[in-house]
Amino acid sequence: MNKEERLIKRYKAEKRFQFYGKAAIFMALLFLVVFLTKIFSTGYTAFQKTWLVIPVNYNADLLYLDPDKKPTTEDINDADFYEFGIETFITLDPDASEDQIMELKKMFAFTFERELKYYLLDNPDSFGKTVDVKLTASDDLDQVFKGNYPRDIPENRRRASDYQLKIFDKLNEDGRVISEFNASFFTNADSREAELAGIASSFMGSLFSILVCLSIAFPVALLAAVYLEEFAPKNRFTDFIEVNINNLAAVPSIVFGLLGLGVLLAVFGLPRSTPLVGGITLSLMTLPTIIIAARASLKAVPPSIREAALAMGASRMQTTMHHTVPLALPGTLSGTIIGLAQALGETAPLILIGMVAFVNTIPGTPMDPAASLPVQIYIWAESAERGFVEKVSACIMVLLFFLIFMNLGAQLIRHKFEKKWN
Amino acid sequence: MNKIEAKNVDVYYGAKQALFDINMDIEANKVTALIGPSGCGKSTFLRCLNRMNDVIDICKVSGVVKINDYDINQKDTDVVRLREKVGMIFQKPNPFPKTIYENISYGPEIHGIAQSKSEMDNIVEESLRKAALWEEVKDRIHEPGTGLSGGQQQRLCIARTISIKPEVILMDEPCSALDPIATAQIEELIDELRKEHTIIIVTHSMSQAARVSQNTGFFHLGKLIEVGSTDKIFKNPTQQQTQDYITGRFG
Repeated sequence: MNKEERLIKRYKAEKRFQFYGKAAIFMALLFLVVFLTKIFSTGYTAFQKTWLVIPVNYNADLLYLDPDKKPTTEDINDADFYEFGIETFITLDPDASEDQIMELKKMFAFTFERELKYYLLDNPDSFGKTVDVKLTASDDLDQVFKGNYPRDIPENRRRASDYQLKIFDKLNEDGRVISEFNASFFTNADSREAELAGIASSFMGSLFSILVCLSIAFPVALLAAVYLEEFAPKNRFTDFIEVNINNLAAVPSIVFGLLGLGVLLAVFGLPRSTPLVGGITLSLMTLPTIIIAARASLKAVPPSIREAALAMGASRMQTTMHHTVPLALPGTLSGTIIGLAQALGETAPLILIGMVAFVNTIPGTPMDPAASLPVQIYIWAESAERGFVEKVSACIMVLLFFLIFMNLGAQLIRHKFEKKWN
Repeated sequence: MNKIEAKNVDVYYGAKQALFDINMDIEANKVTALIGPSGCGKSTFLRCLNRMNDVIDICKVSGVVKINDYDINQKDTDVVRLREKVGMIFQKPNPFPKTIYENISYGPEIHGIAQSKSEMDNIVEESLRKAALWEEVKDRIHEPGTGLSGGQQQRLCIARTISIKPEVILMDEPCSALDPIATAQIEELIDELRKEHTIIIVTHSMSQAARVSQNTGFFHLGKLIEVGSTDKIFKNPTQQQTQDYITGRFG
């Protein structure tokens, strides 16, 4: 092979290598696009909610209220809106049989009583009049309207009956079926009914867990890292500790879940299913990540800065607190955020400490039972109803949004505050 | 009068001995240059004088180093107070990544020297003037010290050191990272600082030692070969090794 041929071969090899690199990036992007497309195409409908607008006659007799007196809030609260609701639904099809009435009722979310009541409470003037009221459609009709349910399969395999679809289509023709932004997805806690289920409980659960995790893991990790890096003598014992911190970072998260279950719940008797326990468990998991990040950023501070401070007569503590730690803080913080983002997406340990429980209240403190976003995804993904499919994707979107947001924050801190050494 | 007296100083890095039985007296208000080939222990000796070797875990120092007749190698010596008296300039300029003002005010602040803001302002200005930097930076003392040029950064470090009025200033090859003009400025400054401080400078450049110092010590392989007035060392050394090094036959 002469020199010329060899040169050509070398150029070809380089071109091939670059092609492989580009192909790898293309593959990675393709996976990402497929993943995101799937999530978004399934999930975006969850942000829309279907309402049925039906005429409601707030008739005094139907509500067993005094027609001549304007009802007080108390009167309305005491009134029976269940029977009233049934009576209202019958107006949709006055010839309905007993069974059909039940089917009419099932076209609406079971919260119709509350919705009818709150409408009257908010609009006391409609007492005695017939007005159009917006009621949440059942998740079956919601899915039909969004086109997620096929209508052409046999009736016995369908959740929405022919009768319901007939009434629904009539309402739709009259423009009485509307689709609006699904605010309740963000304000409601979990529910057995897909049309009512929301992420408020799991969101707050995740938030509290992360806060507990941060407030435990960050100070402990920072102190440990500063001591190990700046004060501890370098000997076999500190080497042993270092190896074990690295080991701790590699322990599968479910093991920490078992630890939380066995120690925090069984020995200390902390309340089950709470963000407090979840946060403590997650902090065990995040601790090594933050320690490693903090030690790396402490190491990156040039020794000349420490020498400068020491030579000025600063004590070791002053050198550390005035110079080394502030300079290492940006790196530590971005490491912390990445550790927290990991913790935010963690499911297994939370399932073990009981945060997988069905929680239909929104937690006000870390001591209240709650779910968390990834566990919520798990719970909904297990549910049989069609209405939960889009919820799963929507919940993933919210979780992804938070992870991206946190990682962006970490990047920002790194770029903005990190000092460049010459 | 001798400001510093070192007697029988041995230094070990782990099992390796870096300094062998150093005995050296350093006169007050003079510039003493320490010269010698790389790895000869001159920087190690310098760091014995403000106990900066304490920072290195494996480093063991024995012997007596007296400053103002007080042995600083005692167990109960307060290194913070020692370093307040013995300042140090390093090979590479190492300003804090803070403003010029904060770089200088740091020392007075931690030692509680300034009682008020105006007093601190005076110290900052005075230190910068003494370090011949004031005219160049007076309009931007609240800008980062790391934004200055190399020579300016080194003068900033000198200003930072003299802000707490140390009696002794140790300089570890202060010009090795600087260009000739910046070097000339620092050398001029050293001569000026001699009036108020005792200066010990480690240098690789024999011409620099000849220019700035009154006394010179020659180190070789961890031993102090010869010490005396700069004039004598350069013109009429008693040891053959010194003669060979000065004339450039090795090193």
